[in-house]
Amino acid sequence: MDACGRILASCQLLRKATRPNLALFTHVCSSNGVQAALARYSTHPMTEEVTHQRPKVTLNTIRSLYRQNIPIASLTAHDFPSAIVADRAGVDLTLVGDSLAMVALGYENTNQITVDEMLSHCRAVARGSKAPFLVADLPFGTYEVSAEQALESSIRFIREGNMEGVKLEGGIEMADTIKKITTAGIPVMGHIGLTPQRSVSLGGFRVQGKTTIGAKKLLQSAQALQDAGCFAIVVEAVPPPVAKFITQALTIPTVGIGAGSVCSGQVLVQLDMLGSFDRFSPKFVKKYANGFETNSAAVKQYVHEVKHGLFPTEEHTYPMRNEDDIKKLEGLDIAGAKVSSSGM
Amino acid sequence: MNARGYILSSRQLLRTATGKNLALFRRVCRSDHAQTAFARYSTYSTTEEVTHQRPKVTVNTIRSLYRQNIAIAALTAHDFPSATVADRAGVDLTLVGDSLAMVALGYENTNQITMDEMLSHCRAVARGSKSPFLVADLPFGTYEVSEEQALQNSIRLIREGNMEGVKLEGGIEMADTVKKITTAGIPVLGHIGLTPQRSVSLGGFRVQARTATGAKKLLQSAQALQDAGCFALVVEAVPAPVAKFITQALTIPTIGIGAGIECSGQVLVQLDMLGSFDRFSPKFVKKYANAFETNASAVAEYVREVKQRVFPAEEHTYPMRSEDDIKKLEGLDIPARKVSSSGM
Repeated sequence: MDACGRILASCQLLRKATRPNLALFTHVCSSNGVQAALARYSTHPMTEEVTHQRPKVTLNTIRSLYRQNIPIASLTAHDFPSAIVADRAGVDLTLVGDSLAMVALGYENTNQITVDEMLSHCRAVARGSKAPFLVADLPFGTYEVSAEQALESSIRFIREGNMEGVKLEGGIEMADTIKKITTAGIPVMGHIGLTPQRSVSLGGFRVQGKTTIGAKKLLQSAQALQDAGCFAIVVEAVPPPVAKFITQALTIPTVGIGAGSVCSGQVLVQLDMLGSFDRFSPKFVKKYANGFETNSAAVKQYVHEVKHGLFPTEEHTYPMRNEDDIKKLEGLDIAGAKVSSSGM
Repeated sequence: MNARGYILSSRQLLRTATGKNLALFRRVCRSDHAQTAFARYSTYSTTEEVTHQRPKVTVNTIRSLYRQNIAIAALTAHDFPSATVADRAGVDLTLVGDSLAMVALGYENTNQITMDEMLSHCRAVARGSKSPFLVADLPFGTYEVSEEQALQNSIRLIREGNMEGVKLEGGIEMADTVKKITTAGIPVLGHIGLTPQRSVSLGGFRVQARTATGAKKLLQSAQALQDAGCFALVVEAVPAPVAKFITQALTIPTIGIGAGIECSGQVLVQLDMLGSFDRFSPKFVKKYANAFETNASAVAEYVREVKQRVFPAEEHTYPMRSEDDIKKLEGLDIPARKVSSSGM
């Protein structure tokens, strides 16, 4: 079989591969013919590993978890690799949060991200995600102007962003807007408590609902959003007794962040909980890894090895076609290569 | 001092902070006033830790490293956190490679990324990068049509992308185009050998210049690019003796990837060398970390803790304003409501 035939056969094998086939595939790939033609380049296709694929999480799955009182595990993703991680690690709902404005793009706040940027990131997440239910944040400015604007934006996220649902911030004042979106058949996740897009008008990033009066107002909003058709509501930065009070009053799940374990589920920002930043982190973020340290150390090691001639070694390099060519090369006159100024 | 005063003075302290001030800053931050007003939210500004800032790498720095025969360490970055890692770890040149099309966005190949997407990622990298010299790839289709097109898009990368230089693929046929860009005052990094954007016409991702004849042609291209004003050349996937041959013939640095240790410097794709993917990787990528495993395990643990209601714990939550409020809350009647259908 020639190299081309091998590649085709390999690709077919990979698509249908079960464990025995994967072993065969690997064996075929190790053969010289395929090696020469397969991925040896700085950019290479994301050939998927075959793993046991868990069932797709739908709204029914979410509802079912809620009814069985099994917490819903939600996490943000902002690109292709983070989406794959969330998928493989068993997350139920992957949120493309506008938090990516700050954590992935480095903006000062979430209000500067554009719809086009969000859509690009949504598509990247969709490419890496198989099982989790996919929800995207409607960015600041894309839904507040009118219910029509909100629906148009939502449609873009479903159609162009390949998302399955949208999330938008706000309480009772957003109920009509949400009703318009859910009536059009687009799942909506609400967001009450601390709403980052409105942090300026809230007087900063402050804990919400700390008093009984605050709690009652929050409940009013929660119920209005439920009536408007939200399938779940994110509750952010409120004391656990208040989150519990609201959770018990609703018949849809609450997904908490900084709201205690009495919510129907939890959500965190992936880059935060992976310890990707060497700086302050809100108290409700638990770090499950030390991403910044690990990655910096790895890159430092690379820099060190490059500077000291330790990387690359022979195993990382390609041979000439044959020995004769090496001799010919050494015999070549670097003919009349005039010394020119180096670039700029 | 009121909370506002604390924040203002804290910010000023942070900007001018040395070791002593940083300790003072931290004490101020821990005080109650500052705590309530400070970052406790799912999205919060990425306030920099103050570290000793190394000098900015310019083209002169690159030239100087080259003259002293000190290897140039280059690495790609695709967003704010990866740019921060490259910066802190001592990388000389950060490249916003169009490899991000595949590794960050999950496209099938590098030829599908748009200029707007590249610009967004460039800006994110610029926000996280202080020292390294910043170069961005001109994406497929943005420079081949004419010299004017190439210059216009280079200008966009500099002006809108906040980059310092551009890279484009191609050999002797690109020399005039490169000259137009360098003449306009924009540093250009050339790219010869395996050029991913042209992989289809190359018959796949194949090692280049494996014969003496191939090497001579490559040298021709290298010299033409040097004459056109490139400040350095990326040399990809060529046998080490060929890369050595070319490096010795030039008076500008070669930056190798899959080209052996005899180049003037090295470059790798950050997501690859961090082990971010659970799949095939080219032989020239050395993995300095195991990010996919680490991150997937971290997220799997988070999912487990959410399901078992182990996370969040009390340390991750906020208190009510007062004990009385909790009692009032528990005493509240949840107004009788009809059970509404849960969302969709």
